[in-house]
Amino acid sequence: MESLRVEGLSKQFGGVQAVNRVTFSVEVGDRVAIIGPNGAGKTTLLNLINGQLAATSGSIHFFGKDVTALPTYKRAHLGQARAFQIISLFQKLTVMDNVLLTLHGTRSSRFKMFRPIEGFTDVHNKAVQTLRTLGLWEKRNEPVSTLAYGEQRRLEIDLGLALEPKLLLLDEPSAGLTKEEGLEIIGVIKGLESSNTVLIVDHDMELVFEVAQRIIVLHYGEIIADGTPDEIESDKRVREIYMGLD
Amino acid sequence: MVVANRRTDKNSIMTTVPYLAGALILAIIPLFLSRYGQGLMTRFLIFALFAMSYNVVFGYAGLLSLGHAAFFGAGGYAVALLKLHYNVDLFWITAPFGLLLATFVAALFGIVALRVTGIYFLLVTFALGQMLYSLAWNVKWLSSKGMQGITGINLPDLGIPGFSLDTTSFYYMVLICFIISCILLYRLVRSPFGLALVGIREDESRMEAVGYNVWLYKYTALVISGAFAGIAGVLFAYYNFFVSPNHLGIATSFLPMVMAIMGGLGTFLGPVIGAAVFIFVETFASIFLPQRWPLILGGLFVLTIMFAREGIGVYLWKIWEKVSHRYGIVEG
Repeated sequence: MESLRVEGLSKQFGGVQAVNRVTFSVEVGDRVAIIGPNGAGKTTLLNLINGQLAATSGSIHFFGKDVTALPTYKRAHLGQARAFQIISLFQKLTVMDNVLLTLHGTRSSRFKMFRPIEGFTDVHNKAVQTLRTLGLWEKRNEPVSTLAYGEQRRLEIDLGLALEPKLLLLDEPSAGLTKEEGLEIIGVIKGLESSNTVLIVDHDMELVFEVAQRIIVLHYGEIIADGTPDEIESDKRVREIYMGLD
Repeated sequence: MVVANRRTDKNSIMTTVPYLAGALILAIIPLFLSRYGQGLMTRFLIFALFAMSYNVVFGYAGLLSLGHAAFFGAGGYAVALLKLHYNVDLFWITAPFGLLLATFVAALFGIVALRVTGIYFLLVTFALGQMLYSLAWNVKWLSSKGMQGITGINLPDLGIPGFSLDTTSFYYMVLICFIISCILLYRLVRSPFGLALVGIREDESRMEAVGYNVWLYKYTALVISGAFAGIAGVLFAYYNFFVSPNHLGIATSFLPMVMAIMGGLGTFLGPVIGAAVFIFVETFASIFLPQRWPLILGGLFVLTIMFAREGIGVYLWKIWEKVSHRYGIVEG
């Protein structure tokens, strides 16, 4: 079953063609990585898929529904979850509040004004469970800014997963992490259920070749290769452009 | 940001005591005050409510509005116009009308002002407020004969036979309105909606990504805030016996902002503390230094920003935390 389909997608910033007629589709359960040198348009592409940016032309279908013109929050309701490149947890809020805000986002309880946030038992239990699994229960009342970088990254990815998304978008999940923390993230992604669909953007070759079944290579906003890790590794053009070999 | 910290698992006595003590003091204190003092306390409660309403928008949602007096003034003008043109004094008619008018003005402002963000939001709300100000200045129907503004407002009629309000009972009426508003606002800021406002203040794009319609939250917050500012305005008209275009414009819009910042932005009771300090200093400075009291207030504001940036309320709270731990009121 098709999860995501991107057709002829382009984004222009003034004179710069950041993403140029990109077409690909992702099946349910796929682990797809998008790689490319700096400025290749990876994050822009992710922003288009998640709706932070509006496409100049082309279309995006999510489970058969045209979402090209939908705002980000509606795409979240349809089942897209995203972990950002720059850690974007609410730094000043407590760990617990971060979890609660994220969990309420796709539930109808998010607009309730008269009941204390602790009063939503199912959400609260889910938050407690998430924090215990992560080993962050003891730190639930600390501001997120006091957590180690790796812990924050872990929390952000796990919050994405706690939403039980149909598509998880990960923007450089291992950026800024130590080798061990990076391995932990690889473990998290590999441990996901096979029904989870994941789209990863990353520089980290080790992570990408470890977790992805399919790799899409972007260069100046265009797809120059699309295939299994083995195919990509042996692709002459990719080696020329991306890995700097000649 | 201790006051903003919901759900600390510490002994709840520590959080309950200051609230109860505050309510008790407010209930008893007028018995020991002259009519002048009672009037001053009434003024304090009205502005505390105004500052709390402003805090929802600026402190919690992070929207810097400079047009909040428009909602306050709308509430006041509703009362004044009903008196001037229809000779209606009955609180049960004037108050809902003032509330509705203020809410309506906020709903209109929001549609225009929330098309932009940041500094532009500030400018648009400022401009909209000034439009109402000049409207009140120029339209004859909005003024008493030969005046700028509307006079002749009395204390409201509560429709109880044989009972009419005086300074003391009016104070208690304002206190009841204040406490009801406090309870409603308290529930609001602790609900999922309230936490979502804080999330929007901290990071809009993340809120969008996890499923929140950020615009709708800001808009709703502005309208709710406008409604509470409207209640404050209704009470103010009855307190002041007079409304003028100034009560719609920038001079009045600054007041809740200064109070909220001085007391502690984004904390529930901060604006109340801020209003108390403001009204107290304003009153005494104007008695002892009639020419220079704005200077004193300005100086105090600067000192607060420099030495208690989180707000005087937060500062007091920290002292209370220390004291309550030291004397074993709460287990640490």
